[in-house]
Amino acid sequence: MTKYILKRIFYLLLTLLIIASITFFMMKGLPGTPYTNQAKMSPAQLTMMNHKYGFDKPLYVQYFIYMGNLLHGDLGTSFQFNNQPVTQLIGDHIGPSMQLGLQAMIVGTVLGIILGSIAAIRKNSWVDATATIVSILGLSIPSFVLAILLQYYLGYKWQLFPVALWHGFSYSILPTLALAAFPLASIARYMRTEMVDVLHSDYIELAKAKGDTSRQVIIKHAIRNSLIPIITVIGPMAVSIMTGSMVVESIFSIPGIGNQFVQSILTNDYPTIMGLTIFYSVLMVSIILIVDILYGIIDPRIRLGKGGKA
Amino acid sequence: MKFFRHHKLISVALVGAAALTLAGLINPAHAADGGDKKTLSVSAKAPINTMDSSLNTDAYGAQSLNNTMEGLYRFTGQKLEPAVAKSIAKPTNDGKRYTIDLKKTKWSNGDPVTANDFVYAWRRIVDPKTASQYSYIYSGIKNADAITAGKKKPDQLGIKALGPYKLQIDLDHPIPFFDTLMSSSQFYPLNQKVVEKLGDQYGLASKGMVFNGPYKLQNWKVGDTEWTDVKNTSYWNAKNVKLNKVKYYTISDPNTGLNLYDTNVLDRYQNLNGDTARQLANSKDFSTDPANSTYYLELNQKKIPALKNAKLRQAMSLTINRNDLSNIILGKTGIPAHSLVPSKMSKNPQTGKDFVKTDQAMADRKYTAYNPTLAKKLWQEGMKETGQKELNLTFTADNTDTTKKLAEYLQNNMEKDLPGLKMTISSVPFKTRLQREASGEFDMATSAWSADYPDPTNFLDLATTGNPQNNGKWSNKGFDEQEKAATSTNANNPTARWQNMQNAQHILTQEQGIIPMYQDTTASLTKPDVRGFNITPTGQYDMAAVYKK
Repeated sequence: MTKYILKRIFYLLLTLLIIASITFFMMKGLPGTPYTNQAKMSPAQLTMMNHKYGFDKPLYVQYFIYMGNLLHGDLGTSFQFNNQPVTQLIGDHIGPSMQLGLQAMIVGTVLGIILGSIAAIRKNSWVDATATIVSILGLSIPSFVLAILLQYYLGYKWQLFPVALWHGFSYSILPTLALAAFPLASIARYMRTEMVDVLHSDYIELAKAKGDTSRQVIIKHAIRNSLIPIITVIGPMAVSIMTGSMVVESIFSIPGIGNQFVQSILTNDYPTIMGLTIFYSVLMVSIILIVDILYGIIDPRIRLGKGGKA
Repeated sequence: MKFFRHHKLISVALVGAAALTLAGLINPAHAADGGDKKTLSVSAKAPINTMDSSLNTDAYGAQSLNNTMEGLYRFTGQKLEPAVAKSIAKPTNDGKRYTIDLKKTKWSNGDPVTANDFVYAWRRIVDPKTASQYSYIYSGIKNADAITAGKKKPDQLGIKALGPYKLQIDLDHPIPFFDTLMSSSQFYPLNQKVVEKLGDQYGLASKGMVFNGPYKLQNWKVGDTEWTDVKNTSYWNAKNVKLNKVKYYTISDPNTGLNLYDTNVLDRYQNLNGDTARQLANSKDFSTDPANSTYYLELNQKKIPALKNAKLRQAMSLTINRNDLSNIILGKTGIPAHSLVPSKMSKNPQTGKDFVKTDQAMADRKYTAYNPTLAKKLWQEGMKETGQKELNLTFTADNTDTTKKLAEYLQNNMEKDLPGLKMTISSVPFKTRLQREASGEFDMATSAWSADYPDPTNFLDLATTGNPQNNGKWSNKGFDEQEKAATSTNANNPTARWQNMQNAQHILTQEQGIIPMYQDTTASLTKPDVRGFNITPTGQYDMAAVYKK
């Protein structure tokens, strides 16, 4: 198991290095400069500024300087926000994004499990059909469209929740619901499929024969065993929530990291683009690593390679 | 399988949903100011990037600096008034020296605002070590150009303190718009003790900063999407500041802004554009203020020599119905521009007449009036003179929704009215467009300029031969001579200078060296009880004068 985890961590670091390198060169290929007043600056002033920030150095030199700083945990300072360290910028904005992401994951997972379970238990009934429709809608409506609809009806028209901004828990409800729709729908579909299979398995029949009540059978055996494949989808779902949150944060005027990422791209804020890309990458590969390790624990065949003995 | 109706999970879900709803009801959408007549809630299009007046480059930062800081002079609406200075000083030494007495004013921490605060701030911004993107605005202050180029030391700048409340400013040459320049945030004073204490963190958070303007910025750090200005009781004119608080909220989504305005969270929703503005143009709360910025077309005469022919340029200009462009395409968020110089920016010092409404300027509108018949005639003549049967142009434009529509409108009109013209639109991001223009990789492009200071030369200079911003490479000796006279020979003679600038404008408009399209405006929704939002010639609002009825 230790060897397996070390191997996964090595691949994680290699992936991060490749991502950082590709992003660096792609970013340098962006047109224009990061100077907000570029249109009004004289050529002499541009030359002076480029010298100050090291943009007049060969590209490979700039790359090695950046990577060297990165190894020391230095992501540089933002261009958009003069002299603000990128690490501090991330620290200042990560709170709302994390809160939204976690809330969406919890709401999506819990409700998805419930919906999927009910649909499986009441297979081929109107309840199942309704759950299917809800799932299809959740999967097909983009989070930003849902965000606009929720904001308009629940926020503006019926005034049940704040329209936007970020002044406490109640302000997080609508964006959470907008972000939770996709994981809710995905998990509900997985859960239903898996639980239908589980409910027809021998050990369920055995449990019934032993005199367990319906409730005991469902909770002790069916739901528990159906949850295993859900771990597989949690990783990609977390990623989709992170990317979806960029637009949702913008719609609800939430001071999160997603909103900042969009702004940094629009302003050619090189250090912030790099810093946030690396940050997102670390988050994503970490999630994938955790999922892999969990899977390795759950199913030993995975860490031993295909066809290996448990 | 029996469906169990009382499953714990369902109960948990229902309780959770109820709790969420209850939380929302306990904290419903609220009016941000709670109906308080002394608090105003305003939208902002972008967060403040810095509160360091030496480093700020954008309008949002400039507005925030204008709310909280103050230089020698200040615009109250359209009127320039003394601020830290006792009076508007008259120059001596052939217009090259200003000796200015200062009022005894205070920073928000109680420190006096002294002449040294100006000396320190000015030297700091021109110092190459500061790497200010706006240091060029000091051009004309004695030795500024040499200092920014690294050839002289910052302490050689033409500013010195003759005493704690007396300032002497020397110029390389007279600057006719010196007074208005002094109201810009780049010329504000800085409290040396505070700046040096905070070091490179100065301007990144309100904590530790001091202010000498009508308001103080509170509980702000860079990147915040909301911030609050509170009344500065140390301000010398605090008795005339009517509001106690101005709350700003960064709103990037137009639907969100509209919903917040309609639910009374915002008293004013600013910077409307595109479809939102079009939909709201007839609302009673809708208003626009002209901004000192002009959107225009540049034709690359170096790359496409045929465009050196004035008739071709004139013809292209005559195909543009500027009223339709402003009303239909821009949703009334633009004003038809007949000159590169924007309207309502500069007036004749003697008569008070708007620079773009003089008899000469009005007569020159024949070069920018919608006249497809004349356009076709001129085009055919021009094509004959340049020996061409057809002309294929790539039109480089920003990839924003509004600019895309504008580009399609121009393409449609020009191809329809100008036989043999084929236009291909290339929609690119803003920075790409800038780069292509600077490197000359374009045939025809949209461009824009916003004033650093409200003087016609700030725009007319763009078209002078050799100006880095003259991307189309239009060149006219007569125009250059008039511009040079306006900025040097006649700098101390307002009447002659005015005439030089009028002549320059006439030549540029007649030649259509740059084709003006529209003047930008700031479109807003404002609640009926909010008063005093008067735009200044520098494009900011004097928030000290805003109040609620």
